[in-house]
Amino acid sequence: MHRSLPLAAALALAALLPAQDGVTAYRNARILPGGAPAIANGTLVVGGGKVLAVGGADTPVPDGATVVDCAGKTITPGLIDASFRAGNTPDMNENGAEVTPHLRVLDSLDPDDPSFVRARSAGVTTVHVMPGSRSVIGGLGVVLKTHAADPQAMVVKNDASLRIVMGSEPSMGNRAIRGGSVDSIYYRRPTTRMGVVWAARKAFFDAKEAMEQSVGAPGAPPSPGMEVLARVLRGQLTAVTTARSEQDLRTALRLATEFGYRTVIDDAQDAHMLVGELKAAGTTVMLGAPSATAVAGSAASDGADPRSATVRLLADAGVPFVITTGSNLAALDLVREAMFAARNGLDAARALDAVTIAPAKLLGIDQRTGSLQKGKDADFVIWSTDPLDPAAAAASVHIDGIAVQVIR
Amino acid sequence: MNSMSLPASLLRCAVAAALAALPAVAQDLLAVKASRIVPVSGPVVDDGVVLIQNGRITKVGKQSEVEIPWAAKVIDATGKTVMPTWVVAHSQGGVRNFNENMQNVPWLTVADAIDPAAVYFEDCLRNGVGAVHVMPGNQTLLAGQGMVVRPFGRTVEDMTIAANTGMKMSLASGGGGGRLQQIRRLRRAITDVREYLADFDRRKGEFEKEQAAGAIPADKKWTEEIDRTKKGAVDLVQKKAKGWLYVPSFAEMDEALRLAQDLDLQIVLGSNIDEAVGLVKKLGKPVVLDDAIEYFETDEETQKEKRFCTAKLLADAGVPFALTLGLGGPTSYPWWQLGACVRNGIARDKAIEALTMVPAQLLGLGDQIGSLGEGKLGNLQILTGDPLQATTWVETVVLEGQVVYERSKDPRLQYLFEAEKAKASKAAGPERKETEKKESDKKDGAEPAKAEPAKAEGGKQDAPKSGGDGREVR
Repeated sequence: MHRSLPLAAALALAALLPAQDGVTAYRNARILPGGAPAIANGTLVVGGGKVLAVGGADTPVPDGATVVDCAGKTITPGLIDASFRAGNTPDMNENGAEVTPHLRVLDSLDPDDPSFVRARSAGVTTVHVMPGSRSVIGGLGVVLKTHAADPQAMVVKNDASLRIVMGSEPSMGNRAIRGGSVDSIYYRRPTTRMGVVWAARKAFFDAKEAMEQSVGAPGAPPSPGMEVLARVLRGQLTAVTTARSEQDLRTALRLATEFGYRTVIDDAQDAHMLVGELKAAGTTVMLGAPSATAVAGSAASDGADPRSATVRLLADAGVPFVITTGSNLAALDLVREAMFAARNGLDAARALDAVTIAPAKLLGIDQRTGSLQKGKDADFVIWSTDPLDPAAAAASVHIDGIAVQVIR
Repeated sequence: MNSMSLPASLLRCAVAAALAALPAVAQDLLAVKASRIVPVSGPVVDDGVVLIQNGRITKVGKQSEVEIPWAAKVIDATGKTVMPTWVVAHSQGGVRNFNENMQNVPWLTVADAIDPAAVYFEDCLRNGVGAVHVMPGNQTLLAGQGMVVRPFGRTVEDMTIAANTGMKMSLASGGGGGRLQQIRRLRRAITDVREYLADFDRRKGEFEKEQAAGAIPADKKWTEEIDRTKKGAVDLVQKKAKGWLYVPSFAEMDEALRLAQDLDLQIVLGSNIDEAVGLVKKLGKPVVLDDAIEYFETDEETQKEKRFCTAKLLADAGVPFALTLGLGGPTSYPWWQLGACVRNGIARDKAIEALTMVPAQLLGLGDQIGSLGEGKLGNLQILTGDPLQATTWVETVVLEGQVVYERSKDPRLQYLFEAEKAKASKAAGPERKETEKKESDKKDGAEPAKAEPAKAEGGKQDAPKSGGDGREVR
């Protein structure tokens, strides 16, 4: 026999109970499992923090399971933001040097940061946080759940990426001190786009040299930063290059080609201008904010010219892309950015995939999350209506099976 | 000197505009057939038709019941939805600098600052907005007169629906200093006007008294008029004109109520008003909301955040409200605003009314705009789908029986949605293509350090504007 509860009561109960115990079945929901066709009258069974079963109305519900009626609601996987802004900006940007590949953003993150609460309130259950954009090579990113009973358990993947930034951001506001030496420690470099690219190139050049030299002397480890860059060069670590304008996009691709590493392009506002090149390079594109293509005003940044056509052009050409919010100041909640992608002509299912299974694959965490599949983490959102409807709100958000507190 | 006061001359302009807007042909008939007609003032009509004659709606009904005159131009919107155009009750759109540096400037009017070529008005049509109440900004004191315009026309006169809609006032401290200083300044400004008026009346009374006593010849007339720079403010304190008072937060609501005792006020509400909903209710009048209707508050003790929706707070308190649209970003989209309302638990119909009928009534134009009713202005929009969906686009806008916007001919949308190829050939000549080719050839790159061919940012910024003579196309 099943205990049947109204949604609100069941969720209140679920929040009280240690979630791993007991099995809960969410029935009569429209389920968009991510990367698979929608299920009209679906059942989602979770227990022990994992998805036990996903299917239609005839999906067997284990005895003793709490049954929650989700009629009229839509269930999706928890959303994944592959570029998420967390923490306070000064703490995300190391000013001591422009190339700091070995720094870990995790060391700057406060697990109680309000941005995590806002994110999960908007249905985001997993985020990829990178160091700030003021350094040419800022350091190592981390993939986190937006909630866990123990802060340590938030970490899904440490050292998930290396952030590189092209364009004017790393040089913004940097000036040589009047009368001072260019070698002064008070002089923050670089000061131009040329300087930005030079700093990145020099770093990879040095890393390459260090790798070649260490071939003969395996006992001598290079400096920590060089070791990280070497991992990128060996293809063991994903580089994420933030590049907005066409010029910066081309530079980012050129650098990657020159040193033979693969890179993801972050906040690629001008991606529509080089769809062919991106396709040829096999690059995944992170779209900063599909909403920010205003007819008038300044939706663009750093000389870019973002267009509404971008999502459709990338989809048609088969360039893999994900939708993110972290690198574009104009970005809205992730689900709303997916909605704007749909408005701009992207198929609704693909728009949702671009904030669930696609970023999970990109971050290499698709074995754990990103879609509703048996055995994966029970990260899911119960939406009041279709998530791409402007009227949609997250009725409840579950991470590892736990109904987390959201802002009301 | 021209004795006509500024407002009077504007009113004349308005009349001229109204006359100019009349169609040249006497029998100008338009019939819009649609699968779904949402008149807002009445029930939805499926497979309906709207007839517009000489700029006014003459009939709304079922296609099976309404005969379309043979001479009518027919727009077939089968599969689409027809609605009245949106009405924005308060905006700073289309005015470049809407906050005068001087705070107390009751003699100003937005009529002198509205730029008919502003992209804002194009955006209005793109979003299905048919009437905007343009007012001076919120960082002001007594800021001058607003006007209601339609977002189409070559001149301000062409665009005018109603001039001199009232005096903009604000309790937001734009002139430095805090909230209390602003309250003091506003009180001072109003008291100054009252004192001026009392002094004027006293002098006039003395003149009449002296004349009666024979000290002044009987044929001499009192010639002094109310100071033109004070006329608008005098109308305000005499309750001949409305004051549009911006109340930035709950903290100023007390003062707003106090001001409302002596003035005919229309409140425009900012955010952070959850503590003062009772006071707003006490006002007993509909209010206009800022475009940002959702806000967060952090509890000082627990640091926990809470989310509020102004519209929902007012709806729960039974206070009628008008929604407005932002100048950019998501709140500039009507569907976003309506969606936010529904998301927060407001009924769909009520949300739609808050952007049509309620603002029309607030502006005193309830019999002209805001719904599809017989006798009203022939303003309507054709939508590709449900007005509350993000994937819905405004296909056509009709203002006073004229088609003023067609999505298929919107150059800026085409620019945003076109593939890159078209732009490259437009912006650069054939040499540019050559360079590009060379660049991609050497991509595997012996010399990748070389800078890109100087495709400067300046050139890019120019490109979008070149597509911009949109008003002609429409």
